Amino acid sequence: MTSTVDPISLPKRAASNDTEIDREALATLLVEIARNVDPDYRARFEGVPTADPRMETLRQLLVGREISELSRVTHLLDEPEQLAAAVGGVLPSAAARAPHAQLGEALAPAVERAVQRSIQKSPRTLTDILYPVFLPAIRKSIGEKIDQTFQSLNETLRHIFTWHGLKWRFEAWRTGASFSEVVLKHSLVYRVEHVFLINRNSGLLIAHVAADNATSEDPQLISSMLSAIQDFVKDSFNEKEQSGLDTIRFGELRLWSEVGPFATLVAVIRGNPPEELHEIIRDVLLRIHDECSQALEQFDGDSSQLASVETQLQTCVELKQEDSNQGFPWLVVAAVLLVLIPAGGWFFLSWQSGQRWQAYVSRLETQPGIIVAEQKVRDGQFYIAGLRDPLAADPQALLSGTEIDPARVHSQWQFYQSLDPKFVLQRLTASLTPPKSVRLSIVENRIVAEGEAPDTWIDRARAAARQLSAGGPVFDISRVRDVSPEARAAEHWQTYVSRLEAQPGIIVAQQTARGGHFYISGLRDPQAADPQALLSGTGVDPARVHSQWQFYQSLDPKFVLKRLVASLTPPKSVRFMIIEDRIVVVGEAPAAWINRARVASQQLSADGLSLEISELRELTPQELTHLREAIQAIDIFFDSGKAIPGPEQLPVLDKLANQLKELAKEARKAGVTAQFMLTGHSDATGRETANVSISAARAETVRALLKKRGVDPELLLVRGAGTFEPAETENSRTGSSANRRVSVTVNFH
Amino acid sequence: MQKKICMLGGFAVGKTSLVRRFVQSIFSETYLTTVGVKIDKKSVVFPDKTVDLILWDLAGEDDIGSFRVSYVRGASGLVLVVDGTRAATLAVALTLRERAEAEFGAMPFVLLFNKSDLADRWAISDREIDELRQLGWQIYLTSALSGEYVDDAFRQLASMVAK
Ligand SMILES: Nc1nc2c(ncn2[C@@H]2O[C@H](COP(=O)(O)OP(=O)(O)OP(=O)(O)O)[C@@H](O)[C@H]2O)c(=O)[nH]1
Ligand SMILES: [Mg+2]
Repeated sequence: MTSTVDPISLPKRAASNDTEIDREALATLLVEIARNVDPDYRARFEGVPTADPRMETLRQLLVGREISELSRVTHLLDEPEQLAAAVGGVLPSAAARAPHAQLGEALAPAVERAVQRSIQKSPRTLTDILYPVFLPAIRKSIGEKIDQTFQSLNETLRHIFTWHGLKWRFEAWRTGASFSEVVLKHSLVYRVEHVFLINRNSGLLIAHVAADNATSEDPQLISSMLSAIQDFVKDSFNEKEQSGLDTIRFGELRLWSEVGPFATLVAVIRGNPPEELHEIIRDVLLRIHDECSQALEQFDGDSSQLASVETQLQTCVELKQEDSNQGFPWLVVAAVLLVLIPAGGWFFLSWQSGQRWQAYVSRLETQPGIIVAEQKVRDGQFYIAGLRDPLAADPQALLSGTEIDPARVHSQWQFYQSLDPKFVLQRLTASLTPPKSVRLSIVENRIVAEGEAPDTWIDRARAAARQLSAGGPVFDISRVRDVSPEARAAEHWQTYVSRLEAQPGIIVAQQTARGGHFYISGLRDPQAADPQALLSGTGVDPARVHSQWQFYQSLDPKFVLKRLVASLTPPKSVRFMIIEDRIVVVGEAPAAWINRARVASQQLSADGLSLEISELRELTPQELTHLREAIQAIDIFFDSGKAIPGPEQLPVLDKLANQLKELAKEARKAGVTAQFMLTGHSDATGRETANVSISAARAETVRALLKKRGVDPELLLVRGAGTFEPAETENSRTGSSANRRVSVTVNFH
Repeated sequence: MQKKICMLGGFAVGKTSLVRRFVQSIFSETYLTTVGVKIDKKSVVFPDKTVDLILWDLAGEDDIGSFRVSYVRGASGLVLVVDGTRAATLAVALTLRERAEAEFGAMPFVLLFNKSDLADRWAISDREIDELRQLGWQIYLTSALSGEYVDDAFRQLASMVAK
């Protein structure tokens, strides 16, 4: 047998009981240790004594401390009182450390039972405990209930007697709901427009949802302000309760808030919400707290954790009650009417139409020129027959005011001529067309004509009088005076006057005919037609005409033009036109004539008339043009830096002087003035100021030399052009003799 | 991210003016005392985040007893405002802070000596300000009139509360 014992296997041989040590194993172990200490020790151990006091000593040595500790703990566990004291010491912190959910679960049944027992034993204790919690809740709930009741009472009263009321009563009966419930359902029109979820602590906005089309200011601001208002009210009125402000009303808008442990939910409602909505909102808030209580508690301005809340809020803003106005029940009303009309209406209507017909017939009977022979009513149709004068009132037209249906009236009228003086008079007036000076009237059944009329009309009237039927009224024309000759003369006079009035340049101020003589006065333009000459052919006797005419100048453009032509004697090359109110002259004319025309135009414009001469072109006679061209071709040249022309220029000057004098003379003959502009030039050498002054000096010199040669100095104008109008472009270093000159230009005025 | 900030300080020190300057960039000479609380909002943009400051501009009370500390509940930071031309308003601002912190715990703040444009009437010594700076406080000499350091102060507080 091997002398080694595997130390690892030792613990596997467990002791047979807890107090007894496995002696054999221990002995083997000790021998093994001894053998290691002294290799010569080979003693084999035979048998182990059953009891050995040394063993106990060894045990005390090795594990004495643990044993006493163990016995203390065992004692602790065995003694209930001591154990309770120990666990009680650590229980609070143990509970705090336990996972919340598990602890809650584990405790729930026990707590429930405990509460149950407590209530069974003495309900009073728990009531006292919960009293501060219940009271506000109960108060609030009662408050809401009362609100609810009032609301429904209000609504009920409002609707009890209306058409809606009846309809809703029917609906209540049909659905088995109470009437006030039905009323509420229909009359509470509202819409939840916004919902804010607000952190109770900081007033910061957690989430906001708005209904479609609902707008608001920055929700974050609103949220803070709402909670500030709550703080303000709570502080100001010393409101200690948890509940907070639950309703704010502002016109159409209501803010309802529900306060939860960590967040407040505020709904903005437009309209008239039912009180049950409080409960719905409360439910939403509760659900939000259930789902996210941790995130809500730890909310620190960052709402990204709470995104899911929005879906919950969304259910709130979808709440609304639309106005279920279905309009007036026309169908029902129509149905009722359909039943009623035939029954009662028929009797009334037929009676009424009979009355109307009788009224119509008696009205016809009183009409002059209408004789009703027969009339009857049958089956709602009306029949009438009789005689009528064509001049009498139209029976059909008389119908129009009576509300009798013309389609149901069947008339048969025979025409006849009534001998009633009124109708006879009408017929005479229609056939004779008496002049205005004649008046026809009825005097005691006779028709009397009075006044003045020409012989022709009197003849026709007499013939008519003879033809009147016997038995009818008499037509008396004895009082009509024959006015034929004067009337004709007056007619002729009127023709003459209207002819005069139509004449341009003649204004008739007054005219009268008295005692066979005619008087006329007025204004006439000398250029207008002669009134006397116009008399011929009018049939008016010139000897009986007495006229008084004042002359005046007509502003009619035609007359103005006539006067102009008379005073201006225009040349043939000029044409006048009248365009609207303006007189326009076109063509060519000598400058002198144009000047006169211009003066005339200025005078006219003072009278508010316009003569336009801008279209006129100046007409210069052929010789003048030639001479002008010859003169303008001449230049007087100078040496560099000189203002006096050299002797070789003198013949040129002589020739120029002669031509100028001739042109001046010819021009005068043609009625224009010739003017000569002497322009001095210089070359481009030297300074510009010097150049300008030398050019002017050259022109002055030439003027003096021409004057000396007999040219009228009045006609000679002078200017210096410096280097600005050179005859040729030049090299400024050397200068150009061609540019040192005086040139001449001719103008006609 | 939103943060609630309260403006604290004596009356007429310029709390409302500072908020208007910061939020709307305007200033008005007329003094309309704030009643209760006035709330404004301004976003401060940092490279990595945006902080929406919800600014509660409280009525200034020199009588500390009537200060409504409940408005400070949930605030993340304070702006303490002192009127640099009235030395007494410093003590008021500090007392208000103590009241707020006693109730709701310590929180970040900036201390503003306002009306710095009124140099000729300045009533706070540089030494006093230096001593406060020694405490590690964030202090700014602001002017709601000129706008000087106003944005800086609010930005600083925003970065402090957003941490
Ligand atoms: N010169 C100057 N005047 C200022 C400044 N800030 C504010 N004011 C003026 O000080 C007065 C008070 O300003 P407010 O901003 O209303 O003071 P407040 O602290 O809000 O006052 P309460 O609301 O009463 O507590 C006003 O007339 C402001 O025009 C500033 O920086 N410089
Ligand atoms: Mg203010």
